[in-house]
Amino acid sequence: MTFVRLDRAEEEASDGSVAPPDRPRGRLRRRPLGGPRWVGWAFVLPGLIGLAVFIVIPQVASLILGFSDSTLLGGTQFTGTHNYIRLLHDPQFLNSILVTAIFVLVYVPANIAISMAMAMWLKTRIAGRNWLRVIFLIPALSPMVANAAVFRLLFQKDGAVNQALATIGLGPIPWLSDGNWALAVVIGVSLWQSFGYNMIVLGAGLDSISPDVIAASRIDGAGRFRRLVSITLPLVSPALFFTTVLTVIGAWQTFAQAYVITGGGPGNSTMTIMLYLYQTAFTNNQLGYASAIATVLFLIIAIFTLFQLWGQRKWVHYD
Amino acid sequence: MKSRLKNTRRRGRVVVSVVVAGVLSLGLAACSGGGGGTSGLDGKTLKMYTWIGGKADTQQWNDYIAGGMHADPKMSVSFSGPPIGDYYTKLPSVMKSSSAPCLVTFQNGRVNQYVQGLEPLDDLAKKNKLDLKAYSSVMLEQLSVDGKLYSIPFNAGPTVMLYNKKMFKDAGVADPTNDWTTDDFIATAKATTKNGVYGFAIGQASNPISTLMAADGYPWADKNGPKLDDPHFRDALQLLVDLSNKYKVAKPLEAAAGGTFPDIDAFSTGQAAMEMTGLWDLQHEQKALGKDNVGIAVIPSKSGVSKGFVGGSGFGITKTCGDKQKAFEAIEAMTSKSGLEFVTKSQASVPARLDALDAWSANAGSPEFAAVIRQLMGDATPSPVPSNQAQLDTLLTQYEVNAFSGKSTVAEVLQQVKAGLA
Repeated sequence: MTFVRLDRAEEEASDGSVAPPDRPRGRLRRRPLGGPRWVGWAFVLPGLIGLAVFIVIPQVASLILGFSDSTLLGGTQFTGTHNYIRLLHDPQFLNSILVTAIFVLVYVPANIAISMAMAMWLKTRIAGRNWLRVIFLIPALSPMVANAAVFRLLFQKDGAVNQALATIGLGPIPWLSDGNWALAVVIGVSLWQSFGYNMIVLGAGLDSISPDVIAASRIDGAGRFRRLVSITLPLVSPALFFTTVLTVIGAWQTFAQAYVITGGGPGNSTMTIMLYLYQTAFTNNQLGYASAIATVLFLIIAIFTLFQLWGQRKWVHYD
Repeated sequence: MKSRLKNTRRRGRVVVSVVVAGVLSLGLAACSGGGGGTSGLDGKTLKMYTWIGGKADTQQWNDYIAGGMHADPKMSVSFSGPPIGDYYTKLPSVMKSSSAPCLVTFQNGRVNQYVQGLEPLDDLAKKNKLDLKAYSSVMLEQLSVDGKLYSIPFNAGPTVMLYNKKMFKDAGVADPTNDWTTDDFIATAKATTKNGVYGFAIGQASNPISTLMAADGYPWADKNGPKLDDPHFRDALQLLVDLSNKYKVAKPLEAAAGGTFPDIDAFSTGQAAMEMTGLWDLQHEQKALGKDNVGIAVIPSKSGVSKGFVGGSGFGITKTCGDKQKAFEAIEAMTSKSGLEFVTKSQASVPARLDALDAWSANAGSPEFAAVIRQLMGDATPSPVPSNQAQLDTLLTQYEVNAFSGKSTVAEVLQQVKAGLA
């Protein structure tokens, strides 16, 4: 809801600057724009209901199920902290954390770097740059499962990628038979799929930089690197922060790529936390244990996000 | 003035609270659903949840429903569902949802994991005087858990070896006989491997292993689950690895999602000369390669006396079904002699009723097919289905790749799978 201090608005208009706000002198001094209070609630209500039904209630239910031995078709018995203790000794789960952490560490910096580089390239005066933006965004708009299924065929031992490599005397590379290569494929396909979205957001951030600021830095003698480090990156930092937070969250939740391309294999080399959670719930029929995994994943993502929110004070510039 | 304002606000809060509570309770009521008298029915039509991977599956279910209606014109069944690769993972959620169907289907006797949501059928069979002796006893055993029957089979058949007759002819190889040995099979696969085409296509997970073990007369599982420590289990997986790595007659398995069929894809596209599969795949292969181009043989064994690994599919009734009698009558119609005989006119899968086999031989089979099926069905190795088969198949699919790539030995792979099952 937007509030306007009418008394201060006049001062702002007269000299072009905003005086420091006074303490509010009572509730009636801050008047919402138009209508009685329930109108605001009426606007917010659909969103609140959606939040409650689709986010809050399932999360609370998942948290509670994490303390039970619930199965998909059977009954539920509360088992206290048993599931969480089991998680600490579950090599499959610990491996899935390691695999996902490697994915996050490689995928997030690579995604941001590629998105930023592409956004900067498309900001230059190249012909058809708007068309190029659309083309690079297409992977992000197409369904991940369909993309991943195609990539699985491309990366098979006798697939198109190895055939192309053979024409220049390379390969064959065991893309889907070797754990390290399989993880590289999953990361590569994820990058291909998602960099377009970040590229658009960062491109919008770059477009919002005033050309006067760039011109002034040129007059001051700043070179390309200096302009990038001291002008462009600080001014685009809010967009960078936004994309980084969302990319980190998405990376911890990676599922479809590993599920469709490798099924978590070879061995458990591409078994992400989400895939392990899915297998635990729907293949192994252990809903309670899977809910405990979901809670731990939620905590991991929450900690990373809070850390980023805390850290933004040091590098994000909103002015 | 102040008190009027307060009253208005309080009233407003009450209205908002009532609206929120009402909407939430409506939502929760919708979530809890089910249990009603019409659950699992759409009007008078019974809803069936099953696997549908494409036109062939759709045609199959249409044919079974048409067969049912042939036996009982009042029967009405509709169907929906995902491809087989997703079917068993989605099934528990669907069975527990507010839109749970009345009828569900099971392949290879995989009822064990789902019995908590299924209605035992023994009493209904008694009440409706259904003669269970008319059905394949092996299938009835597979579809029972702790002595209770949860599904009535509609097809049953042994896993067989399909081969591409043209490729055999081009390679100058004679058609396999029903007493061929594993050595004969390897020699045949070697002869048909050429020009980038393999002699054999290896399937994922437990089915190829259990089939090879059964051919030699060894059951792959018992009441304690899959026999991962059994040396015959290890030998069967080792043979599959050797076919790829030692004899170079098959493409090695690579990482892939569960429920995919690289062997079927390779055989039907002419990339492999042989595959081990159920008879449910026969019609698909005949369409892809030509009806007279697909041959059938028994699974090779060490001794030359091959025993069958029998699997099949059945219909079950969910516990939440609003009209279980009507659902049972539909199953009775779809698996009746006249119903299954009707299906043999368009489907090649072998009917689960022994009294419909003659019609199958006349309509879908041939003397060559009938001889293979008689041998494998007549002397079948027990084929129990462990409750953790879905988990086992997922783990085997993941870890066996390491044996094909040489990263692990077969023994190590089986230990890794065993650890995953623990």
